[in-house]
Amino acid sequence: MTPPLHFVIVGNGVAGMEAAVALRAREPQAKITVVSEESDHFFSRTALMYVLAGQLRHQDTEPLERDAYARLSLERVRARAVGLDSAGRRLRLSGGQELPYDRLLLACGSRPRPAPWPGAELAGVGHFVTLQDLAWLEAELHGGPSRGGPPPRPDAHLERSAPDSPYQPRPVAARRRGHLARQAVVVGGGLIGIEVVEVMLAAGLRPHFVIREDWFWPMAIDAAEGAWITQRLAGHGVRVHLGRGVAAMEGQDGLVTGLRTDDGALLPADVVVVAIGVVPNTGWLAGAGLDLDPSGGVRVGPDLSTSAPGVFAAGDCAAVPGADGRPRVEQLWYTARDQGRIAARAMLGDPVRYERGLPYNSAKLMDIEYTTVGEVWTGPAPDAAAWEWTLVEEGRVRSSTRICGRGDQVVGFNLLGRRWDHSVLARFIEERRDLSWVVQRLPQAAFDTELVPPLRVPADRLAAARALARPPQG
Amino acid sequence: MDQQGQQGLDSPWRSAWRSRGGPAWLIAALLIGFYVDLYWFDHLEPVARALGLRSKWFLYGALYSLGMVGGAVFYLRRHGNSRYHRVRIATNVGVQVLLAWTLPFVMPLLGGTEFYPSYFWPLKYDLLLPDTLWQLPLYLSIYGLVGSLLLSPLLAFFLGKRWYCSWICGCGGLANTFGDPWRHLTSKSTASWRFEKAAIHTVLVAVVFMTAVVVLKGLVGHDHPTFAAFADGTKQVYGFLVGSVLAGVVGTGLYPLLGPRTWCRNFCPMAAILGLVQKLGRFHIRVKPDMCISCGNCSAVCEMGIDVRAYAQSNQSFTRAACVGCGMCAHVCPRGVLRLENRVTVLGDKARQGLVTLDL
Repeated sequence: MTPPLHFVIVGNGVAGMEAAVALRAREPQAKITVVSEESDHFFSRTALMYVLAGQLRHQDTEPLERDAYARLSLERVRARAVGLDSAGRRLRLSGGQELPYDRLLLACGSRPRPAPWPGAELAGVGHFVTLQDLAWLEAELHGGPSRGGPPPRPDAHLERSAPDSPYQPRPVAARRRGHLARQAVVVGGGLIGIEVVEVMLAAGLRPHFVIREDWFWPMAIDAAEGAWITQRLAGHGVRVHLGRGVAAMEGQDGLVTGLRTDDGALLPADVVVVAIGVVPNTGWLAGAGLDLDPSGGVRVGPDLSTSAPGVFAAGDCAAVPGADGRPRVEQLWYTARDQGRIAARAMLGDPVRYERGLPYNSAKLMDIEYTTVGEVWTGPAPDAAAWEWTLVEEGRVRSSTRICGRGDQVVGFNLLGRRWDHSVLARFIEERRDLSWVVQRLPQAAFDTELVPPLRVPADRLAAARALARPPQG
Repeated sequence: MDQQGQQGLDSPWRSAWRSRGGPAWLIAALLIGFYVDLYWFDHLEPVARALGLRSKWFLYGALYSLGMVGGAVFYLRRHGNSRYHRVRIATNVGVQVLLAWTLPFVMPLLGGTEFYPSYFWPLKYDLLLPDTLWQLPLYLSIYGLVGSLLLSPLLAFFLGKRWYCSWICGCGGLANTFGDPWRHLTSKSTASWRFEKAAIHTVLVAVVFMTAVVVLKGLVGHDHPTFAAFADGTKQVYGFLVGSVLAGVVGTGLYPLLGPRTWCRNFCPMAAILGLVQKLGRFHIRVKPDMCISCGNCSAVCEMGIDVRAYAQSNQSFTRAACVGCGMCAHVCPRGVLRLENRVTVLGDKARQGLVTLDL
């Protein structure tokens, strides 16, 4: 009889924990160790903004009950992984400990992209990605955690961390300044940026929102949609600065006092949140002999195995082969969850392939609901056959329904202001339906709250859809 | 505006009065004191008379309605963007003010009977007792019987128990207006769920037993004085324990500490019956597949202690007996994953076209 395998998972985020749960379901006897520097419990990172606002307690953001580690016999190690000896199958932890493994899953996620500007080290400047960032921002905005309390053992890792860790506590400017943040700047027109802006509004601040691009989140939102979001932000009292970069963070005695934009303007600030994206948290793997892509993502095959034997990667830290075969990092909740499940099966030797299928996502941009499915573009049409059809509602419901197509087929949806069942829209795309067919069947995909007046397509937009459904022959 | 979803974040855990701090305990003490005085003392009688009201119960009704109107204003300022909540809360407050206060107050002045048409057995536990039925005019007796035994379960089958618990009922109405600031305090623990199941069905058995005994007394009590005394005692004990202590003192008094649905979730026999019907009926909460990010807002906001996220993150549409259909889980979901629906078929997700909702 062979001894039970030892599975080691680095990271207890959604990818790591999905894998741990799947492994335990199949292997009741195996030893499973989960290494996390950041937290005792798996929590929903996307919910950190609600904890910051005081809408949720930390515990509310934990998808599994707190006894999950005990119930599933998962061994928990609160320490930083600092190196990997893939030949000897040993994971090195900060403090000198080594963890031998039979199968290793790298699910160590992302870390915030560091601010490349002078003054980034000032107290009062930080990110909003980790639990430690949350604690820092809670201290700057509110003076400390809410009455819901901090996470359990917030500093259990400090003895076994490293200076370059994203899970190090940040200095709190409010403590030295003697008052909470009154003026705030958020840098970065993406999801984390707009979330922090929303929390700051709830905290009574009127933040500056500095966006380098010409409108908010041009990766996903087109100019007209972006104009609506800017208008909504401004209506809530946010000072939105579009098309402006950062020159430097200014400070005095080590405390941030403002942010200078690249056109020379100084935005006074007690706190600056830099939300310019995240990068794979894989700096510690340098020299481990793994194949990393230029962004830092661990390159994996279709079965999520890395270039080292017995080592797999899933979630934000993995560069998975896309439909075109090129590796890319997918920093989404649902892809991380799916990858975690697939990786667990691969670690058990199942012949599995990770296939993402049609991309989709949703978000909430301030108070505007957003759903996207399939291929959409946010600038000029990418090729001659590509077209788009838009329906803007400005009545009792404000919404924007944008459908992208190519030839006589619908290929994508970008939808703001209403709720949609993405799985129905994905089916429309997979069935290669034309625009007229799709527009007439949009109610099948509607997921609006009861009593909300349904979307009505006016005759002229319907005629436009019919015209696009039958492109001129030739 | 009929924009969907939560507009602006809420911060209950940053307010002591909403997160079991000192002010919350003070409010609870005041509420409990008020209910103890209301049920077992008569200090409020002279106040009621001075205001031209027939009894302290109309003063209580006036305060109750006022609490609902005030709570509704605050609730709708926050969530009134949703048409579902606007219509629901307006209906509930309207029923309270018109049917549960004005009508019973005015009818006797016009020579009619004091009657509360928005309450049914077993919540109004004496409605079906012989003494009540004989005293009421025939049409109201029939209304009470049909409403309690036929109409209310039938509506629950088609619309879910929400038709009553979140649209009509005064207890639910107060919880969803005055009590709304504390909705996140309802426990989601497994232990609280076990308690709920045991407690609510115990009360259901108790009210059926009490009603049966008192009805039997009406039939044979004349010949069996010992049994008649037992029946009277049973009714008294039920009235004291369930009608006063659990519904009033515990149910409302503990709003700021245990959340606003302690009574509805654990003790209301009407909720128990409607919940059982709901399990067999057409109401369900539909979960959009693979979109949940496990943030926990839905579970946190559930005033009935349902761990909604457990269903949402496992792509499982569901019906829970406890759910009162307030719609807040769907409202606060940042990904629009949840939808309250009354399905006609049980074919699941494919039956999209066959779905019937409350759409007006």
